[in-house]
Amino acid sequence: MKKKNRINAVNFITCIIFFAVLITFPVITVFTPKEKFSDMENRTLQTMPEASAKTIFDRSYMNKLETYISDHFAGRLSWIKGKTAVETAIGKYERNGIYILKDRLVEKIDEPDYTLIDKSIAAINTFAENNNVPIFFMLVPTSAEIYADQLPAVAPNVDQREIINYAYEGFSKGISTIDVYPTMMAGKFDYSYYRTDHHWTTYGAYLAYTAAGKQMCYTPSDIDMYDIEHASDSFLGSLYSKALYDGVEKDTIDIYHRTDGDNVTEVLVTSEFGKEPASYDSMYFRNYLDVKDKYSTFLGTNQPIVTIRTESNGGKLLMFKDSYAHCYVPFLTEHYSEITLVDMRYIQMSYKQLINPEDYDQVMFLYNASSFMSDINLRKLAYN
Amino acid sequence: MVFSSLTFLYYFLPIVMIVYILLPDRAAIGLPKRKKFIIPARNLLILLTGFFFYAWGEPFYVLLMLLSTAIDYTAGRLMYKYDNNQKMRTVFLVVSVCMNIGLLAVFKYSDFIFDSINGLFGTDITNPVILVNRAINNNIYDFGLSEDRVALPIGISFYTFQSMSYTIDLYMRKINVQKSFIAFTAYVTLFPQIVAGPIVRYEDVAAEIDERTVNINKISEGIGKFVKGLAKKVLLANNIGIIWTQIKAMDYSEISVATAWIGILAFTFQIYFDFSGYSDMAVGLGKMLGFNFPKNFDHPYMSKSISEFWRRWHITLGAWFREYVYIPLGGNRKGMGKTLRNLLIVWGLTGLWHGANWNFIVWGLYFGILIIIERLGWGKLLEKLPTVVSTLYTFLLVIFGWVLFDTNTLSDAFSYIGAMFGATGVLTDNTASYMFSTNIVIFALCIFASTDWFTTLVDVVKKKREKLVMYVTPVLMTVILLLCTSYLVDATYNPFLYFRF
Repeated sequence: MKKKNRINAVNFITCIIFFAVLITFPVITVFTPKEKFSDMENRTLQTMPEASAKTIFDRSYMNKLETYISDHFAGRLSWIKGKTAVETAIGKYERNGIYILKDRLVEKIDEPDYTLIDKSIAAINTFAENNNVPIFFMLVPTSAEIYADQLPAVAPNVDQREIINYAYEGFSKGISTIDVYPTMMAGKFDYSYYRTDHHWTTYGAYLAYTAAGKQMCYTPSDIDMYDIEHASDSFLGSLYSKALYDGVEKDTIDIYHRTDGDNVTEVLVTSEFGKEPASYDSMYFRNYLDVKDKYSTFLGTNQPIVTIRTESNGGKLLMFKDSYAHCYVPFLTEHYSEITLVDMRYIQMSYKQLINPEDYDQVMFLYNASSFMSDINLRKLAYN
Repeated sequence: MVFSSLTFLYYFLPIVMIVYILLPDRAAIGLPKRKKFIIPARNLLILLTGFFFYAWGEPFYVLLMLLSTAIDYTAGRLMYKYDNNQKMRTVFLVVSVCMNIGLLAVFKYSDFIFDSINGLFGTDITNPVILVNRAINNNIYDFGLSEDRVALPIGISFYTFQSMSYTIDLYMRKINVQKSFIAFTAYVTLFPQIVAGPIVRYEDVAAEIDERTVNINKISEGIGKFVKGLAKKVLLANNIGIIWTQIKAMDYSEISVATAWIGILAFTFQIYFDFSGYSDMAVGLGKMLGFNFPKNFDHPYMSKSISEFWRRWHITLGAWFREYVYIPLGGNRKGMGKTLRNLLIVWGLTGLWHGANWNFIVWGLYFGILIIIERLGWGKLLEKLPTVVSTLYTFLLVIFGWVLFDTNTLSDAFSYIGAMFGATGVLTDNTASYMFSTNIVIFALCIFASTDWFTTLVDVVKKKREKLVMYVTPVLMTVILLLCTSYLVDATYNPFLYFRF
């Protein structure tokens, strides 16, 4: 009889726990305020759908309601982190396209599509033919390449050296290629790539800036010429958002201030064509230090055209770029009187309607290898 | 709605269970047994929740299910009414069976039939179902019915087979008529089993439909079964399935031998844990509601022959075909020739039941032929072989079966089997090593969970440390439930980062 009582007691406890779990989380969910936007995922969360005959019969009501329920499930991000921790413990080191390495996250790069790359190369060669101006090309390897030795040998990882070489060999003679690969490799033990973001750090950009000096005819400043400000030490970047893995240290956002003072006079940001550009007096948008996307402190988010004017008496530089340029450009301000950044993703017309490259003394392309190999916008440079 | 969703687990299930338990139970409130208005309360709840559960996924075709249920119910009542008139009884049976088979023919096989006709004669006949759908959408109300291919109503293969079991058994006088429309509809719409089985024959639950008890011990047992099924589905099937999804999409003329084997092994485990997990959840939910559903899987991958495999895999389907096709055709009692014919018919139909596609038919006949070979004497020899050999033999043949089952066309199936035997000339590559090394724990868990080793282990420990097992069980249940939840929440994690910015 005693044994039977014990069985009953255990069964009773089982029922209580099971239903307690099943009731607690929905109740918490229902009574907590609902976020509209997920910073971590950079997407709008599902709102409560409205039922109508139409939405019920085409099932969109049910689908949206299920999304609503999971989007607002109590403790959602903690649940996901819990799963990541379990997966890591059982030997999985890839998550949502991110490799989890010993002390950092790196983005897994898909196998390149060489037809895309060929189109970009052809367009850039056309551009070089049409414009009589010195052209420089810098392709930066991403952290997946630099820290490839920390990845197990069987993990698929694209050889970025090969892609950079392929592009450099494809460019016509007039284009000077800047090979920062060895520089970045040599800097791998310094803090030159973020641990939780897909960008290089300000220091990484500084290394490349130093390496490019000789070809681009400027004398790079010594590191002692800068006061380094640790503007934030709680940066969790895009790789973190994808992996939601807590085992990696947060990143630091460093801003390099010249000891002899900032010489930037004006930063003009064109976010929409036909509108007057907005004018700022600094390259640093410090309001981003308080939000998740802290990298945007450097020159803000991506914009079609940004022009930086300085007190320098150097030449004028035109730069086609991705976001790797944002923390790189500040180093150039002492060598150029004007730098114009063009983001081809937002330029739908011929570039000639916006700028004349021959008005500039130099043209520079700055892309990371990953964004270059999947780029579908550089080909627009072949338009007339 | 599926069991392995947050919506079901955290909203539907707790609400239904609480209301169900709170509804008055005849015994609990001390009413005499035949008071009619009490028991229908729970059956009515089952009916309504089942309707809601089904309509969540099929807001239009839920009407089809109700129609089919109403016809079978009426056929049953009429058979009872004309109890002495065998001819009339036969008519009602024929109506019910034709209606159910007709529904399957129209909604499951019509595309296949018209595709085959068009392919064979070079014609371009539109499936009339599509024409009807168009007419409904345009003239009555835009229900969003498919105007391209016929959409298979969820669970139609299961509920038609279940209702048919009622009218056939009634005709054979194996069961009593169900007079209550609510009770009969509750049987069909019983949400644990409506969309994916087990195929619960009316006979299995006839008594429980009218009279069942729910208590803490049964609910607790049901919870155990349910959580076990949930873990099989969410932790094992979904994860190992990722591997197969990737490999299935590859070019079979380029994959290495190792990749091909890893892929099909992954599917072998995926389909088992997916299906048996779903069945376990159904059985568990049934228990919570006071029903005892039949077992659907019994460690099939430990079988030592193909015949045994099919006695352990999707048991309720095999039983259905044996009961309603094989035996009525004469089974094995009418000589070897007839037996072989009957086996081929049953296995062709079993294949076809899984889907309207040549792959499934060939897959079914493949097993039919293997079973015939075992019948003809090979089975006797198999029994004499060491267990390791006969188990491996069975497992390998089942694996080849899964290639037929899950590749898109027969020619894909053959090139995949070619790859497994080295047609591409590459033994192993990085893809294989990567997939294997990062999933080694999941593979190990799958192998372990496919056997009865865990139950045996628990039994051994139970003998020595009974209390320990008793106390650990609820803890383990909780941990697995929480773990499954985190996997379900993560399935919806959808980072949309402007990565190239």
